[in-house]
Amino acid sequence: MRPASWTWRNALLGIPLAFVTLLLVAPLALTFVISFWKRVGFGIRPDLSLASYASFLGGVRLAILERSLIVAAEVTLIGLLVAYPIAWFLALKTSARAARIVLLLFTIPFLVNYVIRTFSWSYLLSRTGPVNSLFIASGLTDAPLDWLLYSDFAVTVGLVMSYMPFMVFPLWLAIRGIDPRLIHASWLLGAGPARTFVRVVLPLSMPGVLAACIFGFVGAFGDSAVPVILGGTGYQLIGNEITSTLDVLNYPLAAAMSSVVIAAMVVLVGVWASLFDLRTFLGKALGR
Amino acid sequence: MKATRPHPGGGALLRCTLWVWTVCALLLLYLPMLPPPVFSLGDKGVADALKNPSVAAYTAIWSQPVLLQAMRNSLIVALVVGAVTPVLAVLAAMAVREWRIPRTVLLINLLPLFIPGVSMGLATAFLFERIGLPPSLLSICLVNILWALPFAFLVVLTAMSQFDPVQLEAAWMLGANRWRAFWEIELPAIRPGIMGAATFSMILSFNETARTSLVQGANNTVQTYIWSTYKQIGLSSTLYALMTLLILVTLVLVFGFWSASGGLSRSDK
Repeated sequence: MRPASWTWRNALLGIPLAFVTLLLVAPLALTFVISFWKRVGFGIRPDLSLASYASFLGGVRLAILERSLIVAAEVTLIGLLVAYPIAWFLALKTSARAARIVLLLFTIPFLVNYVIRTFSWSYLLSRTGPVNSLFIASGLTDAPLDWLLYSDFAVTVGLVMSYMPFMVFPLWLAIRGIDPRLIHASWLLGAGPARTFVRVVLPLSMPGVLAACIFGFVGAFGDSAVPVILGGTGYQLIGNEITSTLDVLNYPLAAAMSSVVIAAMVVLVGVWASLFDLRTFLGKALGR
Repeated sequence: MKATRPHPGGGALLRCTLWVWTVCALLLLYLPMLPPPVFSLGDKGVADALKNPSVAAYTAIWSQPVLLQAMRNSLIVALVVGAVTPVLAVLAAMAVREWRIPRTVLLINLLPLFIPGVSMGLATAFLFERIGLPPSLLSICLVNILWALPFAFLVVLTAMSQFDPVQLEAAWMLGANRWRAFWEIELPAIRPGIMGAATFSMILSFNETARTSLVQGANNTVQTYIWSTYKQIGLSSTLYALMTLLILVTLVLVFGFWSASGGLSRSDK
């Protein structure tokens, strides 16, 4: 192979990398830079000002950050508790065929826009919705429960339903990747199923657990539609606070808040990368 | 495959519980697909919509130029995204295989997965504004391709991992150059994966709101139309009709691809 054709080939193969770098990595850096700029009238001016961070981290917006962190952590935890048993079951206790069908069934609702699904939840959880009707019909309550909609509860339900399907896949990949001989060995050495799970399966599935946490946490932390639809008027999480800041054209402040979200993501991915190896995960896909 | 999986302890009760758990989770995920079709038939409550169903909302769509334009935009964007993304995904997957830095290539191409929609939309909007690219179908397409790329990439990567590169070496020894070997040997073998990547990309583009809404300018897709109308006036049977159409398009694409790729017949690997 001549060197010239090698270069052409490499240039071609590098297009996707250049595409993501130019359209995502550079813009994220630009966002970070703009977060230090100053707002002048309706425009922005280059500067080295901490004003946006001061206005974000001081006053009412600090409460928004705090609430976003708590909600995202709750959603991640609930998502894990729901998704882990499913992933474990599909990876170790069902036939490959059944697992394939169930995973496909998990993909379909994920593909349908979560904004649409969230609109539906706002009906399902409403005062006259089926959930309340069910509660009243069964005699559990006399009057419709108000806290079902436009509340922390509703936002948590909406976020778990949006990001939980995303968490099943890394968990399933990690658990399925465990060498079955290790589980067998644990059994041969006299460990019961519970002990095998705690000492063998759970530790070996940690790359998947943390990857699922990243998807759940970053998704819930940065979501901008669910708090608007299910939180009700005035319910602010950092994601929809960014969009409402954009509506009043305060670009540096929006950039500062977005940079905080990205920083959280970078920390989490950094922890993941320092603890685990991508190959433990995508080993099969990488073919090495 | 099944034989190599040990089932120590068995536990019929455990299996049963987990089936119930999984089915419940699936039911909760599918439940939200029911209200839009019902409400699209009339917005005076469920009972009324089911008793006196009306397709007025659907026929009204065709008389609204704004909506027709939004549908046209959605379709154009989806077709462009569906055509371009798989090509990028194949190139990226080849880079993973051939370059000495597979992990860096992987991480960068998967990065769009980890960025929340608002942050991605905002960042690209800043970039387009700085380089003077006005909001247009082009800016919408670029953002949608960026969003679909990691998914298409993973699908293609999986398909390629099932192809034995020894076949390529055989082709080279028989005198084919690298392109011809790829074109005539590998491409046909990974075609289902590429079709999957294209379908996936189109579906993702049809269902994207958060990123698109920040780079759309005056151009609406069906999704951004639903979102902005909801924020301005609230939900109506027209919006529910549009949602129903989007759900239907998604389901048709999923099952169309699924049956085209042979359904379950080629499973159990």
